[in-house]
Amino acid sequence: MKVKVISADHAVAYGAKLARTEVVPAFPITPQTLIVEQLAEFINDGEMDADFITAESEHSAMSIGIGASAGGVRVFTATSSQGLALMHEMIYAVPQNRLPIVMVNVNRSLGAGAGIWVEYNDSMAERDSGWLQMYVEDNQEALDAILMAFRLAEDRRVMLPVMVCLDGFILSHTVEKVEIMEQEEVDRFLPKYEPLHKLDPAEPMLINPIVPPEYAMEMRYQLDRAVDHSRDVIKEVDAEFAKAFGRSYGGLIDTYQMEDAEFAMLTLGTATGLARGIVDELRKDGKKAGLIKLRFMRPFPFKELCQATKGLKALGVFDRSASFNGGGPVHTEVAAALCNVPVMVTGHIAGIGGRDVTPDHMRQMYDVVERASKGEKVRQVTWHGLRGKME
Amino acid sequence: MFEVRFHGRGGQGAVMAAQTLAEAAVIEGYHAHAFPFFGAERRGAPVMAFARIDDKKISIKSQVYEPDLLIVLDESLLDIEPVARGMKKDGKAVINTRKLPMELDLGIEVDCATVNATSIALEFLKAPIVNTAILGAVAKATGIVSMDSMNKAIRNRFGEKFGEAAANANIGAAAAAYEQTVIGRCKGKRPLKAKREWLPDWDQLPMGTALSEGSIDAVMVGPGGARQNLTGTWRVQTPRYDKEKCVRCLRCWFSCPEGCIKRDEDDHVHWDLNYCKGCGICAQVCPVKAIDMIKGGQK
Amino acid sequence: MNEEMSTIKDMPTNDMFTSGHGACAGCGMAIAVKNIMRILGENTTVYVPASCLIVISAMYPTSNFRTPYLYTAFENTGAVISGMKAAQRRRGISSTVVGLAGDGGTFDIGLQALSGAAERNEDVLYVCLDNEGYMNTGIQRSGATPFGAWTTTSPVGKVVAGKREFKKDLMAIVAAHDPVYAASLSIAHFNDFVKKVEKAKNKKGFRFLHVMTPCVPGWRSDTSMTVEISRLAVETGMWTLYELEDGEARTTYRPRTMLPVTDYLKLQGRFRHMGNDDIAKLQEWLCRKWYLHYGSEVEQPVCAVFEKPRPMRQSEEDHLHFV
Repeated sequence: MKVKVISADHAVAYGAKLARTEVVPAFPITPQTLIVEQLAEFINDGEMDADFITAESEHSAMSIGIGASAGGVRVFTATSSQGLALMHEMIYAVPQNRLPIVMVNVNRSLGAGAGIWVEYNDSMAERDSGWLQMYVEDNQEALDAILMAFRLAEDRRVMLPVMVCLDGFILSHTVEKVEIMEQEEVDRFLPKYEPLHKLDPAEPMLINPIVPPEYAMEMRYQLDRAVDHSRDVIKEVDAEFAKAFGRSYGGLIDTYQMEDAEFAMLTLGTATGLARGIVDELRKDGKKAGLIKLRFMRPFPFKELCQATKGLKALGVFDRSASFNGGGPVHTEVAAALCNVPVMVTGHIAGIGGRDVTPDHMRQMYDVVERASKGEKVRQVTWHGLRGKME
Repeated sequence: MFEVRFHGRGGQGAVMAAQTLAEAAVIEGYHAHAFPFFGAERRGAPVMAFARIDDKKISIKSQVYEPDLLIVLDESLLDIEPVARGMKKDGKAVINTRKLPMELDLGIEVDCATVNATSIALEFLKAPIVNTAILGAVAKATGIVSMDSMNKAIRNRFGEKFGEAAANANIGAAAAAYEQTVIGRCKGKRPLKAKREWLPDWDQLPMGTALSEGSIDAVMVGPGGARQNLTGTWRVQTPRYDKEKCVRCLRCWFSCPEGCIKRDEDDHVHWDLNYCKGCGICAQVCPVKAIDMIKGGQK
Repeated sequence: MNEEMSTIKDMPTNDMFTSGHGACAGCGMAIAVKNIMRILGENTTVYVPASCLIVISAMYPTSNFRTPYLYTAFENTGAVISGMKAAQRRRGISSTVVGLAGDGGTFDIGLQALSGAAERNEDVLYVCLDNEGYMNTGIQRSGATPFGAWTTTSPVGKVVAGKREFKKDLMAIVAAHDPVYAASLSIAHFNDFVKKVEKAKNKKGFRFLHVMTPCVPGWRSDTSMTVEISRLAVETGMWTLYELEDGEARTTYRPRTMLPVTDYLKLQGRFRHMGNDDIAKLQEWLCRKWYLHYGSEVEQPVCAVFEKPRPMRQSEEDHLHFV
């Protein structure tokens, strides 16, 4: 094991290398570029045996990935924001074909006047594509997530693509201590890929013809079931990972100080680390604050959230994107999950367009939730750090 | 509500016929709608279209499963699919054929009208687009819309799209068909069996969209499995080969879009008529006129 | 492999694109695909983007291709075949990876992915089956539609009749990528067709074939005239048979004389509305192209050549196609 002080982008590249990725289609976009640059270096230095294919667009990058994955090899790629949006058509082609591609999306604001800074509206727009979608909190988790993602994706009960989402700049360009595992250890955790598909004239396969209505519905249900079955596999993979490397991240969610909590926040991405600190502060003051970390947006942890919020009076949900429908996407789904549970759910939108999420913002969020837990009437959705009075 | 199902082949104008019938019904003061089965069909492939007519606004948009009126634009379809499936016992059928109603077997004994719409279309339109001729027969056989309304609908739909002359020719075809339609009753002996299909439950379906070559429930699947589609039923003319004249140049073998011309050891050729669509390219490319096309889809 | 194929007679009889497909009677694309697949043989892996070809030959649960087959989208042929080839290379499989795309999927929406694959010199064969329009969606105009032609998006209106722009010179774009091999094919020039597909099959690197594939409903032509129309396309200059090899372009067949374009137009309903002015405009464009391709002026009365750009080198090979 080596210890390096590197960015999450570089950590992810180490992950893809350790996973013995065979084909890497790549197209650059800030803030994902460090990933593909690092992979190109690994390959050109002979440290990694993979085909690095420089696509002329993200749409083509995913198309190359699909061609390669259908051909039975392990595929890794990475993108961000507009790149993910350009891929959108091809994103949908992957899950139904059961191609276990792993892709990093470095979260970045999407839309008119798009900045290069973090926001989750790029990946949230792909949440109903059939990809499993996970959000990470720090650079070590970014690397670990790649290995877990391949193991999960290639499990025969799953056979689905996994999108690992990490905060643009906040993780992608922040260096911190990362443990790089030994190749032999990783090989034991992630065995050689045994493909379901191949494009071999010796045994011809017909892949993805036009599917008429007589079959499409059964195929979609099969996909729905596969996403559902991944819930158990996610827990298994985390346990196996802990056994191999001594680090555990929980299943679909992770919890902090939830045993006796009366009010809590649910966060994803880097806001989780920030919230953990605020929980510690509040606990010092004798307040029963807790934290739920959303690791997987897909599959969504419906049961786990009902379980984790037992005894809780109020739960605030952090969103780093807005649905322009009164709240954020995570809030909407959490509210749906908890509709039969007697817990007050509030929405908290912050960090839009890369605006920094500060400890004060997080304190304000906990303050709203605490007041809600005491029966006080609070706003259903609050934008934190917004100039001007909310309507 | 009066429900209509059209069976035809791509290119015969089944969709236009359904739309024109609906428009004629609206002219009569009814509510009506018409729509195709949204497939990715090509010329010659079996297609369906639907129409409904009612006194009040029609809210249903499902396909028609129990038609009051069955319209078949191509007689050969009777042999390849159970076109009369689900038909109401007191329903009516209108069939494009040179036969008389009593000579036809639809698999259900119903009132039946027949007309040789193909020959009428060839006479009036110089093309086997039988949709307007069949509508003349529909007016005669059902009385659901008057010939006057049908003519107005034809003028509206065809005149706008193809011009005045085309509208007149189509109205002429409809009028001729109205005169020539024979009304009677068909036989119902043929079994109404759906074609063999592989329709597995979701958990029996192979994972993803991939299939290897093989057969499941006696249906071919996977690479090459589409050869079970015998497209020879589309044919309206058939090649005739004079082996004596053949110079074994293989132009026809190269030029056949269906791959149904087979090459013999000595470079003579023979046809697998199960697939021949009767395009006539083989006859056209033959440098010595060893091939000609004869009318009809016979073997 | 055995000797290289150079005539129809050398072609194998084994059909890798089977009968029983759903193409319209008289489909030129079906002729091209059937023969390309015969020549490429069983050691071939096929990608088809959105097009008539997928609709007529790959509807779950079957296909007409007896080879491995993949489809995903419209605009990505160049990209997907790159990935397929990479996977096969890594799996130790050596096959001809071929993309069979239409003109819309090549000239227009797929141009970028085509350029990407050509620029990377991917070891793949890209075939453009050119029926000069979006026929699968119901005959709409593409960058490949010729001047004057009726389509549903270049209708014959009271003010504007047919397409006002000339056909995009796709081969010039492909040639700018300096491909290992590129050639234009006609289904009416049989031996030329066989030779070029065989050549493309046996080379390594990016190869491109451009085949004219007449479309009966889209061109409003008689089902039996598909091959004849292809032949007349060459004889009138609407289509030129040439190839690019080792950076050199050369014509592989030269008509004895240029037939007037009306010989070609009159067989197709899509040109029926064209007036004398438009026909003259098209003829003038063809004459310029003729000079560019064949390097000599055309005898009167068909043409008066206006510009004399550098012509292609002419083939020293026998110009006669199979008789």
